Formats: sequence, C-alpha cells, structure tokens
Amino acid sequence: MTLFSVARKNIAGNFKSYLLYLVSMVFSIVIYFTFVSLQYSTEIASAIQSSRGVQSIFLQASILLILFAAVFIWYSSSFFNRRRKKEIGLYSLLGVRKRTIGWMMFYENMIMGALALAVGIVIGALLSKLFTLMMLRLLDSAVEISFALSPAAIGNTVIVFAILIVVTSIRAYLLIYRFRLIELFQAEKQAESRPKGSPIVAILAVVVLAASYWLILQPIATSQQFSITLLVFMIGVISGTYLLFRFGAVRFLLVLAKNKASYYQGVRFVGAAQLLFRMAGHVRMLTVVSLLSAVTIIAVSIGASAYYEIEREAARTAPFSYAHLSKGDKLDAEIERVITADKEHPIIAKLDIPILGTTADASELAVVPSKFTVQDVPVKLMSAATFNAIADALGRDEQVRLTGLEAAIVQPLDTDHASDDYVGRSITLKQAGEDRNVTFGRFIDERVMNWSFPDLIVVVSEELYGEFARQSAPAIYKAYKVEDERSARATSEALLGLDAKEAELTVHYAEYRGILEAGGVNLFVLGFLGLVFMAATGSIIYFKQLTEAQSDSSRYAILRNIGVSRREISISIAMQSLFVFGLPLAVGILHSALFLQVLMNFNLIGKEATIPIVMSIAAYAIIYTGYYGLTVQSCRRIVEA
Amino acid sequence: MKNVIETTNVTKVYGAKGIVSTALEHIDLTVREGEFVGIMGPSGSGKSTLLNLLATIDQSTSGDIRIDGTDILGMSEKQLSTFRREKIGFIFQDYNLLDTLTVKENIWLPLALSRTPIGEMERRVDEIADKFGIRGILDKYPTQLSGGQKQRTAASRAIIARPRLILADEPTGALDSKSATDLLDSLQGLNRQDKATILMVTHDAYAASYCTRVLFLKDGRLFTELVKGDATRQAFFKKVLDVLNVFGGGVNDVI
Repeated sequence: MTLFSVARKNIAGNFKSYLLYLVSMVFSIVIYFTFVSLQYSTEIASAIQSSRGVQSIFLQASILLILFAAVFIWYSSSFFNRRRKKEIGLYSLLGVRKRTIGWMMFYENMIMGALALAVGIVIGALLSKLFTLMMLRLLDSAVEISFALSPAAIGNTVIVFAILIVVTSIRAYLLIYRFRLIELFQAEKQAESRPKGSPIVAILAVVVLAASYWLILQPIATSQQFSITLLVFMIGVISGTYLLFRFGAVRFLLVLAKNKASYYQGVRFVGAAQLLFRMAGHVRMLTVVSLLSAVTIIAVSIGASAYYEIEREAARTAPFSYAHLSKGDKLDAEIERVITADKEHPIIAKLDIPILGTTADASELAVVPSKFTVQDVPVKLMSAATFNAIADALGRDEQVRLTGLEAAIVQPLDTDHASDDYVGRSITLKQAGEDRNVTFGRFIDERVMNWSFPDLIVVVSEELYGEFARQSAPAIYKAYKVEDERSARATSEALLGLDAKEAELTVHYAEYRGILEAGGVNLFVLGFLGLVFMAATGSIIYFKQLTEAQSDSSRYAILRNIGVSRREISISIAMQSLFVFGLPLAVGILHSALFLQVLMNFNLIGKEATIPIVMSIAAYAIIYTGYYGLTVQSCRRIVEA
Repeated sequence: MKNVIETTNVTKVYGAKGIVSTALEHIDLTVREGEFVGIMGPSGSGKSTLLNLLATIDQSTSGDIRIDGTDILGMSEKQLSTFRREKIGFIFQDYNLLDTLTVKENIWLPLALSRTPIGEMERRVDEIADKFGIRGILDKYPTQLSGGQKQRTAASRAIIARPRLILADEPTGALDSKSATDLLDSLQGLNRQDKATILMVTHDAYAASYCTRVLFLKDGRLFTELVKGDATRQAFFKKVLDVLNVFGGGVNDVI
C-alpha cells in the first residue's frame, strides 16, 4: 500500500469530518471564481460603455477577495488540523516515521485541494451565470447570456488557489514536527480560565472609540493629513473594539453575577459561567466579526445609497426629459418633430423658458464660483412666473411670489451650499442703466433647468425681470417633459444624432444611463463583497460555536443527569449563542452607523441615504439572524446526540 | 417504614436486532426508608445499569420501577427532570462536576434549579461544608482539586437538596484509603443522623462493610444478599469477603 493510497483511504473513510474543511475550501473557490468570471465576462463588458473604470473596480475587489480566501482557508485548515492532532499522535505512537506522516498529511491536503478546486469551478460556473443575470438586471440591460466558460477566469482561479493549497499542504506536512508526541494527545485540552473585567479599561475602550470618531470628524486640509487621520482612526477603532469586548463584555457578565439573588435562579448562571470561561478565546473572534459586519454594512449602504440616488441625481442633472437652447426655427422644429414622433413617450408638458444673462457683483455672498472675479460673476435671471410654470410642468408644489427687489436662488448643482449661504444676503445685478441690489429671501433646493457653468440661477420679480428684459433679449430654452422618459432610448439616440452642438441639448435618458451604469456596477461589486464578508463572518461564528457545542456536550450531559430538562438546556444554548451573535452585531451596526454619519458629514453620500442605509442594516440583520437560528439548531443537535 | 425503592421484574436488554445482550434480568428489589444498601458484583454484572435505571438516566426494557411511591416509567421528559432534581441525589463515579463553576456553585446547582432563595442556599452550603470538609475549597474550580476533594464536592451536591434517595456509583473508586474512609464516614453520618436512604454500587468490600445490607449481582441477576444486623463492621467485612470468594472470578475485583 503506497502512502498516497493511505491518504486517499483516509479521506474516503472519514469523509464526514473532512467535509467541513472541503466545504469551506469550495466556498472560497466558488466565490473567487464567480467574481473573476464576471470580471472577464464579455456580456458585462458590452453592457458597460465606460469599461476601463469598471475594470479597475473589479481588479481591486478581486485582490480583496484573494486576501479573504487566503485568510479563510488558513483559518479552516488550522481548525481542521487541530481536530486531527490526536490521530497523528496515534500514527506516531504506532511507529510511523514523522516524515511518512508528514507526506501523508501533505498528500491528503493536496487531494482535498484539487477536489475542492474542481467542484468549486463547476459550481462557480453556474453561479457566475446567475450573477451575470443579476448584474445585467441592475444595469437595466437586456443581453442574451451564453453558457461559455471563460478560460482566462479558470486560469486565474487555478493559479491563485494552487498556490494557497500548496502552502496549506506544506503547513500540514510540518504539523507533526511542530509538536512533541505528548502535546498531540493534549490537543483538546487548552487552558481556559475565568477572566477579570477591569471597569477602568472598559471605560478606556469607550473613550478610545469616542476619540477616534471625534478625530475623523475634524476638518481635514491636506491628503497627507487625511491618510494619517485615517490610520489613527483605524487603529483606534480596532483597539477600542478589542478592549470593549475583552473588558467590557466580561465586566457585563461579572455584574450579572453580582446580583446573586437573581443570578442563581435556574440554569442561567451555568450559561453565564460558560461564556465567561470562554471569553478570553472569544474576544478576537468577536472583534473580527463586529468589524467585518461594520465593513459589510458600510459597503452595501454606500452601493445602495448610490443606486437609490440614481433617479434623483438624474432628475437633478436633467430635470426635463429634453431641453435645448433655441437656435433658430429650423432646428427647433426638427427637434420637436423627433420628440412628437415618439408615440410611446407622449409629451406631458412643453415649455419655453426665457433666461436673461447678465453679470452681478457677488462680493456679499459667502460662496462664489471660482474662475470669476467676485465683482463680475455671470448670473442667469429667471422671472417668478417662469419659475412657477416650470414647477407646474414638473409636477412640483413649490411656488414663489416676489415683489420689488426680492429674489430667490436655486441651489447650484453638486454643491453643499445651504440656505444660510444666501438667505438675507444680497447681490448687485448689473445692467446698462441703474444697477439693482436684490436680496435673497429664499433658497430653492430643487433643480429647474439644465446645468451650465456658472450655475447661478436668480429668480426675480416680474417688474425687475421686465426692466432687464427691455435692455436685452432673453435666450429661450425649449423644454419637454414626456411620459416614461427613462426608457426613451430610440428618441434620445435620434436627438443626440442631430447636429445640435450649439443648442446645449440635454437628454434625460442619456444622463440617467450614465449614472445608472456607474451606480449599478458599484452596487453590484459592493453588494458582492458584502455577501462574501457576510458569509465569512457567519461561518466563523458558526464553526466556533459548533466546536464549542462539541466540547460542551459532556457538560450538558452532566446537567441532564442532575435534572435539567431538555427545554432548559435548549434555552441556555439559545441564550449563550444570542450573546455571542448579538454583541458583535450590535457593535458592528453602531460602528457602521457612526461611520456612515461621518461620510454624510463629508458629503460623500447624500443626506437622503437614510432609507437605503436602514434597509442595508435590516437586510444584514435578517441574514445574520438566519445564521443565528441555524447555529442554535445545529448546536442543539450536537448536544442532544 | 415506607418503601423508597420498589422494582418488580425489571429487565434491561442492550442492542437491537440480532446482537442482543441482557444486562439485567428479573430484578425484584425493595429498599426501605433509612436503609444504606450496597450493591456488589463483578464487572459486567449489571450494577451500574441498575443504578442508572433507578436514577432515571436510563430506561428499563420491561418491568416496574417505583421510587417513593411514584411509577417512573410513565413519566414525561419534563416530569423526569423535575423528579431527578427533587427526589434523587446522584454521586457519579467520574464526579460529573462542571469545570466552569466553582465548588460552591457546583454544590448550589440543584438548589438553583429548583429556584431556592439565595439566603437558604448560603445557609445549606454552610451547613454541609464542615460535614464534608470542603470549607477551604469552596471558591476553587474543579481543575484545582484532588480526586478526594472532587468526590466530596460531588457528594455534597448530591445531598444539598435533601433528596429522598442518594445513589452512589463507586464513590470511593478513585480515592486513596484516607479519603475513602472520610467519605464513607460522611455517608454513614447522613444515613444515621439525617435518615437518608442510600444505595451504593461498589467493588470494594471495605466500602460495602459500611452498609446495612449488601446485595450481590451476577450476570444480571440478584445472586444473594447479606444483612449486617447487629454485627460489627469488621465482622460484616469478613462476611462480605466470604460471599465474594464464592463468585470465584470475582476475587480479582475485590482488591
């Protein structure tokens, strides 16, 4: 019998105990291969016009995934090896040479790795089609999907995982050399002891966390300063979270024990003591899980809020379905003909928007567009009546009423200007005759027309507008609102095909598509990473709890003998798992909420993102709860067996 | 006096279809209140099986078991759990202590389970601490204890809830002779002063000599029994040894 066949028989014989390790390897391979397939997919490339930027997003994400796979496989292989120490010890005791045992372990790991790689690629190939479908759906694009495998994706995956598998196999080979024989037999007995929870360090942990968030909320001047701040913030958050679990959680359990009258009632204190006993070994896992949860929620929230914002952003960039500057009757008529010809998208509203261009002295304003001298900034004048007509056409309730020298300002696009920057301040509008000093009474945050630089739209009273209109003729913008503008692909292409460069033609559909593609890819990549991290965190706790249930089952047998009912034991398991699952989830959600608030403060995500953020957190919590239920169920089965 | 244990025609068969081994056959046993009964017999004679059946940890294949007048075979899982913690104190051969709890917490377990007020719990441990000589180790963990200390802790836990019946499975098996004597003295004290009913499985003729009656099992059947009566412990010890000699192969187990 060759060594190779012994290794093969080992795997076949103890398949069940090998299964867990195999499944975790397959899992990371499936994920990586699925992702790489998407990266090389021609369907997706054709659905995305701006493919270079997207390729770099994919590349960065795949590096992150390699890291994840490496950590995950490393983790599960050490979990697996720990369970086999006794078996290896037995071989050694029976007189098998260390070298022989080492090679046997090496072969085993290689066989399992090869098996996992094959299975992983097959499953990944199927899954990648599913994800391609999902992604194309996010991109709102109808492309037929073929079932072709990408050789580049297979090559990439095989190389990456072959390296990982060889490294873990070498590690398996070395296992027998790392321990003395006696240590192999003591594998299951690891010293655990009841920790002490210092209240001072627990408070210190909270202080460290608070200081970290305070630090990152400070205004930042240079990018170098930013990277230093970010580094300090990360160190602060990681160490703060660690200390919080190490001392805070322990403290919490010890405080429970203080109230003896309620602590020693029923089986509860047994569970609490068990948690306390395990705490030292749990702290690292709890920290990792809570931070990974936070990262997942943040990633998904960013993607979701960007996607959620697409329609609004498109509406801001192009409030009308089509709009252009009138450049002679011939072009106007031609554009109108194309729009009217589209029977699927009938016109809801058609509007002429007269705009007077002039300059103003804006030295009293807090913010002025760059590149212009403050005394001579171009502004666009719009009459109150025109504004109200636009609001009507776009189906908005907002109306303005202005008299004399009152004025209103429309928020310039893509700025964080707020009401305080304008209301109560005045600017001087210049004309051939007497200059007029108008004061802003209102700040309007909804867009009324397409953007052009500089984006200062000043709404003035009828009289004042009339006065300026006598001096120079206004430019006329022709604006159309049609039904279901987001699907008007053919008309949009026809319009964009016209020779209308001078006319500043803006098409809602084109703007919408551009934003959708960027947002869709972001949501997909971030969502995918979120899913992977989610699965990873869930599995980490799951495996850990299962191992513990195995070593706890003797304790539960004792309790059963003393007269604890099955139900009480079930509840005890559920409560202990709740602690192990609930604590990092709560801390993770708190971290993500705080960090997203930071992002909002810096305007990196919109203020309206609350809904997608809440939805992301809820989705995470629901899947996480599913993991909790599964874990409790499996633990019960192990304990009752 | 009342009967604490009454079994009629109890049989226990292990295994299913084909390979069957009979552990106990037609056991009729009656233990009265206040008795200290020993059960002896060679390995595989069914001693521990009998004890497990009485402790409701295992179920008999056929026959009737009544403890303190209650038929335990018809009970639900929940009723059995309650019964176990209120009526029975079990001293396990391998102690069955939870290593995550201190000695005191281990002893408290049965009281906590039946939701005894904390004041009462403190009082009872205080009472028992000197009887079993464990006052100095109350705040230690089982891993820090010697075998004798663990066994005394297990014994304390078995009696803290003042059960009707104490079952002990080889309680002196892992002890040196000094610790064994201490524990047996404690059990005898419980039996004499507190009128506790005790059933003890043992290999050890010396331990058996503390009993008021000793039953001998062989191949799953009741073989014979010895009653101490007015004899001294030394005289009873001799009688026990004599019976063990009759077992033949059983002699090895005596030592």
